[in-house]
Amino acid sequence: MTWSEIQPLLFQGFWDTLYMVGWSALIALIGGLPLGVLLVLTDKGGMLQNAPVNKVVGAVVNVGRSLPFIILLIALIPFTRLVVGQSVGSTAAIVPLAIGAIPFFARLVETAVREVDRGLVEAVQAMGGGTPTVVFKALLPQALPSLVAGLTTTVIVLIGYSAMAGTVGGGGLGSVAVQYGYQRFETSVMIATVVALIVIVTAVQLVGDAVVRLLAARRGGAGGDGGAGRRLARLGRGRTVAVAAAVVVPLALIGYGINQGGEDKQTLKVAASPTPHAEILEYVEKHLAAKEGLDLDIRKFNDYVVPNTATESGEVDANFFQHKPYLDDFNKKQHTHIRPVVNVELEPLGLYSRKEKSVKGIGPGDTLAVPNDSTNEGRSLHLLAEHGLIELKPGAGQEATLGDIADDKGLKFKELEAAAVPRALDDVDAAVINGNYAVDAGLNPAKDALVAEQAEGNPYANFLAVKDGNQDDPRIKKLAKLLNSKQVKKFIEDKYQGAIEPVFGNVGS
Amino acid sequence: MITTTDLTKVYRTRDREVTALDGVDLHVREGEVFGVVGQSGAGKSSLIRCVNLLERPTSGTVTVDGQELTALAGNGKRAGRELRAARGRIGMVFQHFNLLSSRTVLGNVELPLEILGHSGQERTRKAHELLDLVGLADQAKAHPAQLSGGQKQRVGITRALAGDPKVLLSDEATSALDPETTRSVLQLLRDLKEQLGLTVLLITHEMDVVKAVCDSAALMKNGRITESGTVPELLATPGSELARELFPVGGVPSAPDRTVVDVTFHGETTTEPVISKLARTYEVDISILGAAMDTVAGRQVGRMRIELPGGFEDNVVPIGFLREQGLTVDVAAVTDVTQNAKDARDAKGGQNGGNTDAVGSTAGLVGEGAK
Repeated sequence: MTWSEIQPLLFQGFWDTLYMVGWSALIALIGGLPLGVLLVLTDKGGMLQNAPVNKVVGAVVNVGRSLPFIILLIALIPFTRLVVGQSVGSTAAIVPLAIGAIPFFARLVETAVREVDRGLVEAVQAMGGGTPTVVFKALLPQALPSLVAGLTTTVIVLIGYSAMAGTVGGGGLGSVAVQYGYQRFETSVMIATVVALIVIVTAVQLVGDAVVRLLAARRGGAGGDGGAGRRLARLGRGRTVAVAAAVVVPLALIGYGINQGGEDKQTLKVAASPTPHAEILEYVEKHLAAKEGLDLDIRKFNDYVVPNTATESGEVDANFFQHKPYLDDFNKKQHTHIRPVVNVELEPLGLYSRKEKSVKGIGPGDTLAVPNDSTNEGRSLHLLAEHGLIELKPGAGQEATLGDIADDKGLKFKELEAAAVPRALDDVDAAVINGNYAVDAGLNPAKDALVAEQAEGNPYANFLAVKDGNQDDPRIKKLAKLLNSKQVKKFIEDKYQGAIEPVFGNVGS
Repeated sequence: MITTTDLTKVYRTRDREVTALDGVDLHVREGEVFGVVGQSGAGKSSLIRCVNLLERPTSGTVTVDGQELTALAGNGKRAGRELRAARGRIGMVFQHFNLLSSRTVLGNVELPLEILGHSGQERTRKAHELLDLVGLADQAKAHPAQLSGGQKQRVGITRALAGDPKVLLSDEATSALDPETTRSVLQLLRDLKEQLGLTVLLITHEMDVVKAVCDSAALMKNGRITESGTVPELLATPGSELARELFPVGGVPSAPDRTVVDVTFHGETTTEPVISKLARTYEVDISILGAAMDTVAGRQVGRMRIELPGGFEDNVVPIGFLREQGLTVDVAAVTDVTQNAKDARDAKGGQNGGNTDAVGSTAGLVGEGAK
């Protein structure tokens, strides 16, 4: 990708990151500060000593801190929807980010406040000060430099967490890096986003450190020889930074809010995986939708759960990322009511090898890599069985695993995440790779695959899906028609070179 | 002004109880500087913290300026409104100053006024006025870290006085300072006490502090007050440990056939040259073995150990003369002719052996002399 293509991605990612991190840091500050102070005050020997409260708050904070962020992100979806009315998008990402950061910041606040000399507390009490006076006149002002350092650390952790927010369609630089850099092998995008992230983190750290130094210097830590001039100069520079931050951050937040506002009710929101689904939708949006009076809002997801739950809850109108076996299983387990509308494309699995030219060359002692998720692994094993490389036990279903192999004919298997399989191709004798990942990795499915799945009658075709009852929405009908148009067929064939094949028509049951 | 009755403080830890205060009765009169001395761990710190209830006494009462603070108990560890108001009328100075490094000198002095709810202008005016009084007007804008230890304690004292307290508590206020600074800070305390009519309760482990500023003193041991009174009263008390600590005298007989006498000046005598008068009147040769004298408020206070030739019988008349002058006289030791060889040897060994031995042998002699 060229710089002119990368630049808008980076720019959007930057604002998304700033928006998510800005708000969640603010909420973490508001929530974490009282929690941290409460932990100190209610502790043994504290001014408000209260063992039960201390234990409960401490336990909540510990649980919050020990949950992996990705778990929190998914677990909080219902709560997020309750709070901000949606579970996808940057605004929705703020909720889990803030909730993840509150306990983290609370512990840092606790440590900072604990460092304050007990003598100062005693002095304020001796003057007749009550607990609020002690907190606001002694503890917090005295701990301020440590609190600022803690907030800096929290913001940096939040920037890291926000990279994961891409899984709920939150956008941001981290998600740009994953979507383009990792999944599409756009190394230049990956490098650009990583550099941008490094620059942001460094800038945050520098600003934080400068504020801490400034606060420490004002307390005369530098000693008497500092000279008033130098202190003033330092003060001036610090104020400039503070003022600049105070102006830029809210502007950014407001600006983003305006961008988000003014959403058209007629716009059809479609959740899609970035490749190829979102690309096909983007093609439709750019070249076909306007003529039909259709306005598309394409939301990209790296995750396979949220698009369905968001469709079920009505936050998006449709999704396009999955095939029939996956949806059937999902509907059953999650009690959702998603229905397929129209088939669009198939990403045929293929067997690739750097060492062998033909499937005949693969035999006993060879190692094969296969995807490790239930659907792709099942598909892979059926493909291998079809070509006589292995034998499956009778009755092995669509989600067959290595345990269902009756005869491995001397082959060994390595299970990897689907996106990671092409990266392992050099380390194994052959690998079963999804068409889209094969193309991304520079393989040509039409020429390079030793064997590949057949398009005809394949249950794994990906389709447009909606919540039951919305099948007749005129906008959905328009989109379905466009997705099955000959322009899209040509687009898929030209763009994906066989990695993805157009498979149109109704979805078989 | 400050009265405690049967004050007890017991600290309970998981497996044992420590009694820090064991029935302390203390009475500090209005306008005096009262010093409580004792080894560390004697309970001084607990005592001063119980006076403004920073520590809750286990039992007993504390009354300050006619108000029984122990009756204003708040809820558990939290201080109620009335107790906080009462604390506002008691200033406190700390060993480690306890100034807020986040505030300027002025800000630190304003803090108690903020708590008392004074307006901004009023606070600044009052703080400047007080800083002028203690000679820190130039440092108002400085932060505590830029000050010397003595200056910091001056700020600490100024802060303690901001709320116009009648009572000042001083918790080892000079223990972190060098001797020179200690003297100037004590002088300041003394001056402020005179100017503002303060009552001061201070705790210290330094006898010099008591000598320099205190009108009265008490000795604390194992959570109890073992001696208490004005400094002259203490000196007049025979065998007073505090008097001996305040004005330590040493020295052992230089030869056989001598009488050693401790003379205590407790401020009632005029500055008459008693010793030379004694020498002239009775034509005796007096050697001074040791002395610890001070002039407090224009009067001589202290102790002196002198040696008179001859045995006790030879010296009944001179001793009587000293007593007539209003001095307290204790016979510390008498050496007779037969005992002399041994004593002289002991004395020599004692002197060569250093301080500890000398004190030990003196203590022995005092015991003998007491009969």
